[in-house]
Amino acid sequence: MKTTSAKLNRIFNPKTVAVIGAKPEEKSVGWGLIKNLLAGKSERKIFAVNPNYTEVLGVKCVSSINFIQDDIDLAIIAVPAKIVPNVIKECCEKKVGGIIVISSGFGESGKTGRILEKEIVKLTEAADIPLIGPNCLGIIRPANHLNATFAPAMPKNGEIAFLSQSGALIDSVIDENLKENYGFSALISYGNEAGVTLADFLKWAANDEQTKVIALYLEGVKDGREIINVFKEVSAKKPIIVVKAGRTKAGREAVASHTGSLAGDYRVYQALFGQTGVIETDTIRELFGLAKALSWQPKCKNGIGIITNGGSCGVLLADYCQALGVKLTPLSKKTLDKLAVPGVMHPAYSKRNPLDVVGDALSDKYKAAADTLLEQPDIHGLIVVQTLQIMTDPEKNAKIIIEAKNRFKEKPIVAAFLGGAVTEPGAKLLEENHIPNYSDLKGAASAMNALIKKNSLKP
Amino acid sequence: MESLGFEETRDLLERYKIPLCPTKLAAYKNEAAAFAKSVGYPAVLKVFSRGVIHKTDLGLVKTDLKNEVDLKNTWDEIIKKTRGIKTEGILVQKQISGVETVIGMKRDAQFGPVIMFGLGGILVEIIKDVSFRIAPLERADAMTMMQEVRGYKLLKGFRSTKPVDIKKLASMIIALSRLSLENNEIAEIDLNPVIANEKGAWVVDPRFLKSP
Repeated sequence: MKTTSAKLNRIFNPKTVAVIGAKPEEKSVGWGLIKNLLAGKSERKIFAVNPNYTEVLGVKCVSSINFIQDDIDLAIIAVPAKIVPNVIKECCEKKVGGIIVISSGFGESGKTGRILEKEIVKLTEAADIPLIGPNCLGIIRPANHLNATFAPAMPKNGEIAFLSQSGALIDSVIDENLKENYGFSALISYGNEAGVTLADFLKWAANDEQTKVIALYLEGVKDGREIINVFKEVSAKKPIIVVKAGRTKAGREAVASHTGSLAGDYRVYQALFGQTGVIETDTIRELFGLAKALSWQPKCKNGIGIITNGGSCGVLLADYCQALGVKLTPLSKKTLDKLAVPGVMHPAYSKRNPLDVVGDALSDKYKAAADTLLEQPDIHGLIVVQTLQIMTDPEKNAKIIIEAKNRFKEKPIVAAFLGGAVTEPGAKLLEENHIPNYSDLKGAASAMNALIKKNSLKP
Repeated sequence: MESLGFEETRDLLERYKIPLCPTKLAAYKNEAAAFAKSVGYPAVLKVFSRGVIHKTDLGLVKTDLKNEVDLKNTWDEIIKKTRGIKTEGILVQKQISGVETVIGMKRDAQFGPVIMFGLGGILVEIIKDVSFRIAPLERADAMTMMQEVRGYKLLKGFRSTKPVDIKKLASMIIALSRLSLENNEIAEIDLNPVIANEKGAWVVDPRFLKSP
């Protein structure tokens, strides 16, 4: 069944939600769901369903969804797998807008589970109701204050749609996010994809106005041929970044040909990402490192400038850029002339790209460097590196970068303010103004590379 | 997995216009010598067997045969080595010089035919200088696949060698993609090597494996 984006929109912004399997016991899934949903109670009505209780966290409990008078936009099911089909039957009779099955014990767990999964798919397909899961954490839509999961907290609102095959990973991503500055348009744990598939969610995210970039944690796909087309179609509209797990899986039976032995599972996925324009990353941290750059900064033509107050960092960053294929634009005569005016730069400045403004540079040197480089037409983006000397002022430097960014809106700026406690206020200020900062040079180079790849996507 | 016999293999290649170097499956020494004479020396003799993948390891491939005497002596040598091995016969081929590449296919359970291109020869599994694409492929895909391998410079001409016929290689990659999509019974393909030079590119060793 193809799930239309309109149906998913109703699920992501429900006016009424019922939790079947709601429980008053603290730390239970049924309790966690109600607790998280209550955080958005100003936007919707929440109903608890469980024949064994009268109340959960102050919400009156009814024994069946059919005892609820209101139409239900979203039903969330957290009951043992074997009774899920009966609960789904009731939800179908009730004509709910959508169903999330949190429960596990389906296709992922042997023959009995597979039979159960087929049964619930049959029921929901016949009723034409989207089914998310089973075996998932649920969905979160921060902008609508919807947390239909048992995750530990509500993440920040933003422009990244995170789709994850793992529910547990989402929980930790949220926790990490709370101390970061990027935010999410949606977090989706898609579980077994029995009804709504990864492909459906990708198409939804492609059309979702709030989503600017799609981050994906992937183990395997359900329908390879379909995903090729969907990746192509979606990545032409919005960047998709992926972390693929199971890359080293041997997974080969008898080897009968050279090609067979070389075409391991992961090589096939690499080919898939390569030919569909999906950007691959190595780590979860890098996934969100790139996601924030892609959600905050415009795309970049290949050809950038680097400003640094540490020569070593310029060299190292240039190495990372070269390895990734990020080109450094040579400084034009006009640019060099402007920099050569006495007093503009320190006498020992580098006179080339990377532009080393020298260790004791005060903020005025950063300002002159940033303005001059950004004025050069074929410098399409900027990486600004800051190491920390006693005279360095991270906050002032951050303000200068923000001002430069405001003047050159179409040119992306990525920062690498290296350091920790003293640097933090500057780094925070940058990110609050949507200039991504990285505490390591490689992260900054990868971010710029991703912005360049974004440029090659079809408009 | 069972591999296709020689005639089936040749038919498939012809049907998709994938050039095989001048080759004959010979049953007799004199037949081999006559063919080698007609296409010109140097010649190659190799056993065609459905069961053996690594023919070179067993001494079942002999290259650089310069004349008829050489060829006939080598024939006798190979015949001795084939005792106990099930073969369809011995292939006699015109020896072609150029860059050894490999074009292959593996049918992935999830994604369908996955096409491989790389620098070929017997060391392909060690050097692993290969790239992959999921079929169907267009010409641009075939071109970038070739550019992705580290040894691409060898194709573009290196020092005294002339650039090879890259367009022909691209056509062969696309043809293999089409063949793979249209022949579901084929599970894996090795065209290794495909020898390319400035005049063209030819499959020297084709191997098609049927789905079990």
